[in-house]
Amino acid sequence: MRLEYLHFAFDSIMHRKMRSWLNILSILIGITAVFALVSFGQGLSTYVNNLATEMGKDKIMAQVGGGFSSPFDERYFFTQEEMNMLERMKGVEDFTPMTMASAKIEKDDKRIYTILLGLDSDMIRLIDEMMTIKVEDGRDLKKGDIFKVVLGHNYQIPNKIFKKPLRKGDRIMINDVEMEVIGFYSEVGNPQDDSQIYMTIEGFYTLFPEEEGKYKYAIMRASSGEDPAKIAERATERLRKHRGLKKGEENFMITTFEQAIQTFGAILNIINAVLILIASISVVVAAVNIMNTMYTAVLERTREIGIMKAIGAKNSDILFIFIVESGVIGFIGAGLGVLFGYLIASAGGRIAAEAGYSMLKPVFPLWLIIGCLTFGFCLGAFSGLFPARHASRLKPVEALHYE
Amino acid sequence: MIQEHFKLAVKNIRQRKLRSWLTMIGIFIGIAAIVSLISMGEGLRVAITSQFGFLSTDVLTIQAGGVQMGPPGTGVINPLTVDDTEKIGKVAGVKASISRIVRSADSEFNGRRNMAYVVSIPDGDNRREVERIANIEIDKGRLLKDGDTYSVVLGAKYGTDDIFGKPVSVGQNIVINDAKFNVVGIAKEKGSFIMDNAVVMNDETMRELFDDDEKVDIIAVVVRNVNEMDDVQERIEKLLRKERNVDKGEEDFSVESAKKALETLNDTLFAVQLFVYIIAGISLLVGGIGIMNTMYTAVLERTKEIGIMKAIGAKNFDIFVLFFIESGYLGSVGGAIGVTFGALFSLFLSFIGNAALGSGLIRAYFPWWLIPGALLFSFSVGSIAGIIPAIGAAKLKPVDALRYTK
Repeated sequence: MRLEYLHFAFDSIMHRKMRSWLNILSILIGITAVFALVSFGQGLSTYVNNLATEMGKDKIMAQVGGGFSSPFDERYFFTQEEMNMLERMKGVEDFTPMTMASAKIEKDDKRIYTILLGLDSDMIRLIDEMMTIKVEDGRDLKKGDIFKVVLGHNYQIPNKIFKKPLRKGDRIMINDVEMEVIGFYSEVGNPQDDSQIYMTIEGFYTLFPEEEGKYKYAIMRASSGEDPAKIAERATERLRKHRGLKKGEENFMITTFEQAIQTFGAILNIINAVLILIASISVVVAAVNIMNTMYTAVLERTREIGIMKAIGAKNSDILFIFIVESGVIGFIGAGLGVLFGYLIASAGGRIAAEAGYSMLKPVFPLWLIIGCLTFGFCLGAFSGLFPARHASRLKPVEALHYE
Repeated sequence: MIQEHFKLAVKNIRQRKLRSWLTMIGIFIGIAAIVSLISMGEGLRVAITSQFGFLSTDVLTIQAGGVQMGPPGTGVINPLTVDDTEKIGKVAGVKASISRIVRSADSEFNGRRNMAYVVSIPDGDNRREVERIANIEIDKGRLLKDGDTYSVVLGAKYGTDDIFGKPVSVGQNIVINDAKFNVVGIAKEKGSFIMDNAVVMNDETMRELFDDDEKVDIIAVVVRNVNEMDDVQERIEKLLRKERNVDKGEEDFSVESAKKALETLNDTLFAVQLFVYIIAGISLLVGGIGIMNTMYTAVLERTKEIGIMKAIGAKNFDIFVLFFIESGYLGSVGGAIGVTFGALFSLFLSFIGNAALGSGLIRAYFPWWLIPGALLFSFSVGSIAGIIPAIGAAKLKPVDALRYTK
């Protein structure tokens, strides 16, 4: 019996080819947009969650400034004493201070400006872990590397930063001082981070002698079993007291990495949700279209319905015939929509990666595909519900009379 | 003749009430979404760009190169100097060349601390220029004048509870970077985040406070004649290239007209808006498909009617116009209802935004083109969707059409 409904549905869809295709087209367009947007949203959440869980779980980040200030502002920094204080806090297992500056990079007469980071070479591991990067080509920084630098991923790509890709052993000028390139980091996935330059903190102070003993960032790792959020809170309080500041007046920020990244993720999710909401307006319009077509179909087939009823079809049979018909339209539309959505999202992902944003990578979980197909069928069936009910309630005699 | 076409079209739509309504709902939803999104989006864009509305058209700004994070002048490698400002002042076509310092500082009042955004104002004739460029107007007290030491004019936000928990009044003292300052005036509210939060002090005082006699964060150049803007810019670039010993194409500084900066910002915002509109526009496309579908059905249903009309002398063109008007009508009526609802919805949203959130960013703004544009667009969607079915109807052979049975 069920199969017969489907058979009926296909039959009448094929009979009214043009109209059915137009309906399928309208569902398809909406589902394509929604599918593509959701797959990007999923990709982003996956990226953020990976960051938060894999690397961020036990990490705490301290940074200078806040409000209007810039991290480059020379008036805001952590002193050695403050760093020592944080390092010695209970529950802090690993600790590494960092510093940064804006720097001028020159290679073959081309000049760029980028962020230069000074790292503690003993604790490179902690930094690599937090940024989920590692040196791919070449070697890590080690103690005593003064005029040596490790470059971000994008420096090895032609025409990205410099026309000619840089290689291990190349020499570049940083603030007019010649430095040797000893390695390249793996890709982070956004152009800013991928164009950063890393050197040892000793090297950094050689380049910027006035910065000696000043730090801009610190990364801490909570010992296992400790709640990083509590440690961040305690550290904030400790430093606030040390600086003689009241609550809410901090000129520094200490948060767990998870908090920072979750905030970032939450904002992205809201933006994505708004886009999906806007895109789903078209799905609503498609549903209205299907409903319209089904009303027409009922009208056209009034006589047919009369005959079916006369030879014994029950109200529920008629109801099902029309619901399945509109459901099938919705399903086919959704199927094609998923296909097109997949193609569009993959192409979009490739374009984003090309532009240096490989973090914008769509993912296609199975639930999304099944969900879209089910949604398409249900949407179609639901749109057909009122027309179908109308059809099922037609009086056989009147329906037969209908002209 | 056309009048009759219209009458016939409206009659046909009325006869198929339910279908027509459903078709129009399709267009209505799309247009309502687009109208409300565009008006909110434009409102947001106007709100954002008006933050920078104080930028005058006759001003060039010069900054040294570097990674900029935060206020101008941070993160530069080779800063501009007072000497550069003086040399630029001698360039032909330059009316005034003004050194400006922009820094963040700690401010203290009422036992509370806050990170403040401090800007300098020069002495002499240039003071008027900066007041004009930055559009500084006084609400209470007075503007700064030459010779005022350790005195400040505060942005409008300082006159409220927002910053220190209680308003700062004229005559009171406020501590900035551990130095005591006398508040001589509170500026008028400008609705600009930057200006309303700024602390203005005389150049000399600021140099002393930050212990810096040389560095300039930003040079503001007022040109004598707005039409010569590009020439003056070129001359300044040439001078600075020579001063800083760099070749063309490798400048470690930027000279930009305020207008251009605003245009760039505008373009970026517009690109984002366009993306959102396109996504919303998809629903309109789907609505158009709905109209096409309805028109195909209408042609099919009225095949016999078309046959009769042709038999009694209707030309192909008449039949075409008949269906074309019908679909255009569906589009425009749906569009008109959509425009109304969309506009009401965004007014409602901006009311909520103002009343509940007190946010000036959520406000409806209707550019002049929006409503006529949306109406025209919905008419076009309707009529374009009707073209193919109408051609189909027009091409029917009278004999076949007469014989047609469902």
